[in-house]
Amino acid sequence: MPPPSSPTVFVVDDDEAVRKAVSRLLRSAGIAMAAFASPGEFLAQYDPATPGCLVLDIAMPGFNGLQLQTTLGEKGSSLPIIFLTGHGNVSKSVQAMKHGAFDFLSKPVKDKDLLAVVRAAIETDAFVRREQAKFSEIRARLDTLTPREREVLEHVVAGKMNKQIAADLGITEATVKMHRARVMAKMKVQSVAELARLTERCGIKGTNLLKSAA
Amino acid sequence: MSWITVVWSINVGACLTLATMYLAVWCKQRESWVHLLFSCSAIAAAAISAFELWMMNAQTVERYEALLRWIHVPVWVLMLSFVAFVRLYLHAGRAWLAWSIYGLRTLVLILNFIFPVSINFRAITDIHHFSWAGEIVSLPVGLPNPWGLISSFTLLLLLIFSVDATITVWRRGDRRRALLVGGSMIFGAILAWHVPLVIRGVIEVPFFLGFTYTAIVAAMGYELSNDMAQAAHLACELELSHKRLNLAADSADLGLWEWDLSKDEIWVTPTRRAQLGFPVSEKITFEDLISRWHPDDRDKVRQALRDAIENGKDYNEEFRGVLADGSVRWVAARGRVQVNRQGKPIRLLGVSMDITARKQAELEAARQQQDLAHLARVTTLGELSCSLAHELTHPLTAILSNAQAAQRFLARDDADLDEVREILNDIVTQDQRAGEVIHRLRLLLKKGEPQKHCDDVDLNEVVRDVLKLMRNDLINQNVTVDTDLAQNLPRVTGDRVQLQQVLLNVVLNACEAIADYDSSERQLLIASKSENGAVGVSVTDRGRGIPEGKLEQVFERFFTTKQEGMGLGLSICRTIINEHRGEIWGTNNAHCGATFHLSLPIVRSDALSAAPSEVLDRSALTATDASAPRVTAPSGVAQIRCDRIGGGRTEGKRVEQSCSKGGSDH
Repeated sequence: MPPPSSPTVFVVDDDEAVRKAVSRLLRSAGIAMAAFASPGEFLAQYDPATPGCLVLDIAMPGFNGLQLQTTLGEKGSSLPIIFLTGHGNVSKSVQAMKHGAFDFLSKPVKDKDLLAVVRAAIETDAFVRREQAKFSEIRARLDTLTPREREVLEHVVAGKMNKQIAADLGITEATVKMHRARVMAKMKVQSVAELARLTERCGIKGTNLLKSAA
Repeated sequence: MSWITVVWSINVGACLTLATMYLAVWCKQRESWVHLLFSCSAIAAAAISAFELWMMNAQTVERYEALLRWIHVPVWVLMLSFVAFVRLYLHAGRAWLAWSIYGLRTLVLILNFIFPVSINFRAITDIHHFSWAGEIVSLPVGLPNPWGLISSFTLLLLLIFSVDATITVWRRGDRRRALLVGGSMIFGAILAWHVPLVIRGVIEVPFFLGFTYTAIVAAMGYELSNDMAQAAHLACELELSHKRLNLAADSADLGLWEWDLSKDEIWVTPTRRAQLGFPVSEKITFEDLISRWHPDDRDKVRQALRDAIENGKDYNEEFRGVLADGSVRWVAARGRVQVNRQGKPIRLLGVSMDITARKQAELEAARQQQDLAHLARVTTLGELSCSLAHELTHPLTAILSNAQAAQRFLARDDADLDEVREILNDIVTQDQRAGEVIHRLRLLLKKGEPQKHCDDVDLNEVVRDVLKLMRNDLINQNVTVDTDLAQNLPRVTGDRVQLQQVLLNVVLNACEAIADYDSSERQLLIASKSENGAVGVSVTDRGRGIPEGKLEQVFERFFTTKQEGMGLGLSICRTIINEHRGEIWGTNNAHCGATFHLSLPIVRSDALSAAPSEVLDRSALTATDASAPRVTAPSGVAQIRCDRIGGGRTEGKRVEQSCSKGGSDH
């Protein structure tokens, strides 16, 4: 896994003057940034691995901010989006909000407001990325389990005793114990509680969902 | 004294009197050659009578010979002037006959002086005295000259000429003249035959050639005097008609005028002359007259008159005149140039009318119109106010962020002054940008002066201005505007703000027409072109079009299809365009939507003449370009070259126009 690059703020605004000024403001606060004149330009160069946030003008000719938000959402991006809005864009703002915008700032925007929101967004993104990394780690560990071990895992997480598991799966209790020890080792956990927490993060609650998730 | 002396002398006197009178007439009317010819023939007739009288009283052969020789001079003059008179005055008589008479008679005159005695006699041997009607008269006796036959032949030609001319005049329907002049001519030409008969001794009468010609001269004189009587009558009539005309002109408050170009003298009806403060009899020159016009209008009047004189156009101008009492009146003048036969302008005739009341009403109407247009403009801008305000947020955002960035840069220990300098430059630029937005708005909100269409306007600029104003509104409504603007579009004369208002209205209407459609359908095309001396701008949408039969109605006042509309927009647009001598109309496209066209005349012709070939090429180009965007291709797909403007951004690209809505929406 490559080392995570430093957080970058992406500024997308069709108005050159605004774009330039906002970029400057970010630079003056020591924040790395990249500016784009249109959503299309941004999409062409965007690397989802880069952490940070998106400062997006909501009203642009042609492919606008809202459409970019939708496109990113469809791509599974979790990049926080801060919308810059002018007057008379209430309906658009509501739409953006529904699609999970990080925040809204109305133009003209004060430096403190912008920087605070940007920083918060970067932090959030970092947190999300960390979470996502953990999730990926757990998923990687889960992927190392054999089908039988996964069945055992489901039952363990569901809180069943070894005897019950053995009865349910039609195997001996000793075999259940052996699988269980392997699961604990592969999932790198010490206790059942810890195992339950990990799997819960992946949305698994000791049901057959794990099968479909896998 | 014998009665013969008395009668012949009276004849001489009468002829001379006539001759003098008509010579005086000719002196005053030099172009009237018939009067001169008449005088000549009358003088010749008088001379002939005088010679005859002397011949009758001649006592010696030598004297008779001399008189007989010299009498041919007045006879020559008489015949020539007589024939010329008939040709000129009656427009009759054959040319070849006339020229034969001129030639032969001149030959007779020459021969007359070559022969020792005369053309009539080889020698006069004696003078025969005889008693005639109680008087003793003298006649020559001698050997007739055979060459005298030529003289007789000219008399025959004269008779033929006279008969022919008389018949021509008779057939023309001018019977009185035919009878009087023609009759007397034939009578005279017949009577003249007594001369050869007397010479050959066939008859014994004194020569009375003078009388026969006097009869003709009298007939000619009667005709001419008739003409003069008629002229006098006409002069009377003219005077009366003149008075009537003046009365009519005064009652209608019209001024009649006539400008003699060669003399630079202007005649105007007395009332108008008095109003303008010219003395009754003083000569008025053009400069005198134009000094009475308003200084601001003089150049315009001069130009219009120059046009009328040089190019033969009708003179038609409205201007302000300053009357003698100092009051300013509006005057409408119309005139026409008269040319002479060579086509050279000789005078300008015309009429002028006081239109002050009408002008005031027009000004008042224009002011109201202006107020209404202003009201409509403000209302329109009200609709746009949100997006117009937004137009300011861009520069304001840039300014604030730049300024705060600069503060932050400066707060650092290693402040980058170059960066700060650049920021300050950008701030200034953005401030100017905001200022321009406000300026544009202020222009539109300002109330204009009525009838002030004096700017040279580039309609492409108007299109760009309107797109700038509407930029944000277009973005918000997701409307894409394609433009196809002709290069080097000729300018039109007009009020830029009012033209912006018209286009703004048309584009706003087009946006509303497509508001309910998918964003992919929300496209407008604005095209400009120049053709047939006019500049046209069209706005094409792909909405549902205008119901058939309402294409004209949409321009009526208070007609609206909108729920909140006042129905003033397009009616005001039409008024504005009409005031610009242009046209605005709407058409439905073949497949979907409507197109509104506006066309304004190119007033300044020098723009055209500057580069005619370029203009021709260009109009040909734009004509083909402009035909495509109307989406008339049967397939509903048209490939066009155009620049796409999305709220001010321009990038050239090919746009495939397709109409999915089809004609069902109509």
